[in-house]
Amino acid sequence: MGPKILSANWDVPGSHTLEVARSRGVYSRVAPALAMKPADITQVVKDSGLRGRGGAGFPTGMKWSFVPSKEKRGDKPVYLLCNADESEPGTFKDRYCMWLDPHLLIEGMIIAAWALDCHTAYIYIRGEFRFIQARLDEAVAEAYKAGLLGKNILGSGFDFDLHVHLGAGAYICGEETALISSLEGEKGQPKLKPPFPAVEGAWKAPTVVNNVETLAAVPWILEHGAAAYKALGTEKAPGTKLFSVSGHVNKPGVYEIPMGMPMRQFLDEVCGGVRGGKKLKAIIPGGSSVPVMTAAEVDLCSMDYESINQNAGSYLGSGGFIVMDETTDMVAALTNLLRFYAHESCGQCTPCREGCGWMYQILCRVRDGYATPEDLGTLRDLADNIHSKTICFFGASAAMPVQSFLTKFRDEFLERVQRPAAAVTVMASAPIPSAGA
Amino acid sequence: MAKVKINDTEIEVPNGTNMIEAAKLAGEEIPHYCYHPHLSIAGNCRMCLVETTTPRGPVLEIACNMQARDGLAIRTDTAQVLHMRKSVMEFLLVNHPLDCPICDQSGECRLQDYYMEHGQYDSRGLDPKVGKNKRQDIGDLIVLDAERCVQCSRCERFGDEVTGTGELRLMNRGDHTEIGMFPGDRLSHNYQGNLADICPVGALTNKDFRFQRRVWYLKETASVCTGCATGCNIQVCHQEGEVFRYLPRRNDQVNKSWMCDMGRLSYQEIAGLKRILKASVDGKAVEPDVATGEIATRIRAAGAAGVGFVLGTRATNEANWALLQMVRANVPGARIFVVEGNDGGQAAQGDTLLLSGDRNPNTAGARLLARHDGNVGDRLALLAALPELKLLVVLEDDVLGRLGAALPPVVFFGAFKNATAQAAAIVVPTAHPVEQDGSYINRQDRVQRVRRAVNPVGESAPAYVVVDRLGARLGKAPGTQMVAAAFNGMARAVERMRGLEFKGLGAEGRLLAPEAVTAVPGAEAST
Ligand SMILES: Cc1cc2nc3c(=O)[nH]c(=O)nc-3n(C[C@H](O)[C@H](O)[C@H](O)COP(=O)(O)O)c2cc1C
Ligand code: SF4
Ligand code: SF4
Ligand code: SF4
Ligand code: FES
Repeated sequence: MGPKILSANWDVPGSHTLEVARSRGVYSRVAPALAMKPADITQVVKDSGLRGRGGAGFPTGMKWSFVPSKEKRGDKPVYLLCNADESEPGTFKDRYCMWLDPHLLIEGMIIAAWALDCHTAYIYIRGEFRFIQARLDEAVAEAYKAGLLGKNILGSGFDFDLHVHLGAGAYICGEETALISSLEGEKGQPKLKPPFPAVEGAWKAPTVVNNVETLAAVPWILEHGAAAYKALGTEKAPGTKLFSVSGHVNKPGVYEIPMGMPMRQFLDEVCGGVRGGKKLKAIIPGGSSVPVMTAAEVDLCSMDYESINQNAGSYLGSGGFIVMDETTDMVAALTNLLRFYAHESCGQCTPCREGCGWMYQILCRVRDGYATPEDLGTLRDLADNIHSKTICFFGASAAMPVQSFLTKFRDEFLERVQRPAAAVTVMASAPIPSAGA
Repeated sequence: MAKVKINDTEIEVPNGTNMIEAAKLAGEEIPHYCYHPHLSIAGNCRMCLVETTTPRGPVLEIACNMQARDGLAIRTDTAQVLHMRKSVMEFLLVNHPLDCPICDQSGECRLQDYYMEHGQYDSRGLDPKVGKNKRQDIGDLIVLDAERCVQCSRCERFGDEVTGTGELRLMNRGDHTEIGMFPGDRLSHNYQGNLADICPVGALTNKDFRFQRRVWYLKETASVCTGCATGCNIQVCHQEGEVFRYLPRRNDQVNKSWMCDMGRLSYQEIAGLKRILKASVDGKAVEPDVATGEIATRIRAAGAAGVGFVLGTRATNEANWALLQMVRANVPGARIFVVEGNDGGQAAQGDTLLLSGDRNPNTAGARLLARHDGNVGDRLALLAALPELKLLVVLEDDVLGRLGAALPPVVFFGAFKNATAQAAAIVVPTAHPVEQDGSYINRQDRVQRVRRAVNPVGESAPAYVVVDRLGARLGKAPGTQMVAAAFNGMARAVERMRGLEFKGLGAEGRLLAPEAVTAVPGAEAST
């Protein structure tokens, strides 16, 4: 299955300790990196074709190069923020990176910081990951003690401080500008773009936000070179990727594979196939926010950004691979997803704030048999009217499941609203618990 | 400058102009809730979505976060834009209580207005609405109905950016987002009324105005507040001779979009118990004409050396000018004074936002005319002259309170029963600022107009008319009954006013010419 770049140490006992990590080569890339010119590191990352693993797949080297030069930014600092908010339903890979190999992430951040002329960085970790935060704190303390963090790292003259910041349990704080608001001490709500974080981010200073998995890939790339990384995966999606597999499969879990593996092969050979020998009905390939794929589309796709987009109109996203077999009630599945979005919408902009709750209420009625075909039309319109009309991408993330489920599993929805309607009346659906509850 | 295109109209605007403002200049209203010219950009309502063309084809973007740059072109009339306006309205209203019949915003509500302009769909909302806290007493002037809120965050930004007090907060998330305050917190500043003004819907309403009148019955007259030397621009809202409220009127040079609560509520004085309604002589009510005749008699008896006149820091320029002319023509040699200070003699607190510690609307105007005349004395001069004076004629100001010294018999022309009025031998009522035309000069030296919104109460008349009538009794009327002519005559005579015309003061007023720097004798020697 190719080399392991991110999960190589996961099975080693004590992999989260500095001692074991060092014995596995972690931190061996720091000294060579600090001997390089920062711009050269960015160039290597650019050449490697590494793309952001947080969901958008934006080329990492390019993102780093958007940070204004010292002349342009004056005495403003540069911040590096590691996005460890991982809250998307179906996505659970970053937590393993941090739990099983925290030092690899720290190493990646030291190197990235050197490349970015950054002296202060934060790991913003999901509020529910308190136990992981404790482990990260230990790892950071160990690194400080070993002179890998703090003043004059390894005698190089480079100062770099790393802080772990616990979120308060909001999915939206994974969106990079909401993460920045939250880190600043404000309510965790996305900010308008422009300005973009690379130019004006945390505390109005240039800021790079990168996913855990993205940063953890950097040491390997530096050690083995851009070409070695490019040799893995596909031309446009080089390297390996972690997939978190859940749902009706025999072997759920987190797998690291090179990009481009046929999706069927991944499902059958790596994940052990559909549970109980049942037939596959659908897959959500990139975390709950991306459009659902039918079984037929699965056969056309391989595990990379371009293939999934071109053949199924969906996205690789964060690599949350949700498998649904033939017994799945697609109406109930979508209703469940929308319950999440209605609960997590930050409530800032009109279409998403009002629309997510409304879509959820309609779906509850569809699920429970109290809806009409017109309601499906309304549902579709609402999703269309939310998608890309909002401040942040959350709106689209809530709309795309609705649009794709309604299109690709239309019959199941139609059947629900055309049941001999005993009594299609207005009824109260399950109330959405308030965020504070 | 940047050339921008709105639909098919090309206009030139300063670089960086907000596109909602640029469109307005091009005659195109872009509907909006959260945008406010004097608050930061929030971009949350999405009502202002317009179409721009990018290499990827047309895209929707919010106009309020778009700054004019050369070549920028937007369309506000495409099917996509119109569809989204309708859709945003549908989203905003799906959880809205629609209690327009009992809502005070009715008639000036952006939900209503934009629904009629851009909505007009049949409701598809079948599910229960999200209920919220409906009647909250959050300050002396403000009631909050969280259900009516459209979450535009204007009030939040006002508290953060204008008053710096940050009381109102949008709490919770999703469609449970609710505007509110921390338990136990309460609005306690002097600018609360602005919250009701900027709230585009009926969520924040003004207690003082609630349930008083449907706004569509109200007429508006542009004026200025006379509560202090700042002279905030206002609209006087009135119906059939009764004033119901003041609203701030935008003037970026003076008060932006704001006014203080003290000034806002000062409309209550117009028909308040402190108004002087009747003329009186020695405590007996008489016709104003009779009082005027008696004043003339007493002035003659006192003689030029025995009578003093006091210009008003609360009077209009026209009234002060009339008094100045009247005295110089009829009682040459009589002394004229200006007594600065606040009525009652108390020092007042100002703030750094709008309110001035000088609670008179026209100190600068009275000073200007005093300078012009050259022989007008100040409070010390008046104190020194008091033993020689047998009669003191006072225009509007509480000279007694300000001086804190016993006065000779007083003739008082004024609108309010202040201490001086109460001690006066003869009183003639004058009109309130909203009952007359005229001008004041604020502390920036800006000459601003008030306009007659309602008729003078009781027997009162504008002070320049009252003074003109007295002139007629003494022999020569200064001819100041026509206010525009009076102003223009004054502007021709007073150096720093030269070039100003009453009709040309416009909505935003005009600054006086800067004070001429007169050479200080002996200054040369020291250099
Ligand atoms: C609603 C929403 C939630 C997101 N949640 C996460 C998250 O939990 N973790 C993450 O790395 N990126 C998340 N993102 C993507 C980030 O905004 C950002 O693109 C990413 O952290 C950039 O890192 P990368 O370039 O390394 O992928 C989210 C985006 C949206 C719109
Ligand atoms: S799209 Fe949703 S989550 Fe994003 S800013 Fe708007 S309301 Fe908040
Ligand atoms: S806020 Fe506007 S729409 Fe709502 S009840 Fe009041 S007047 Fe009606
Ligand atoms: S109360 Fe009014 S001003 Fe405040 S957020 Fe709601 S609608 Fe906007
Ligand atoms: S006015 Fe532009 S989004 Fe509200």
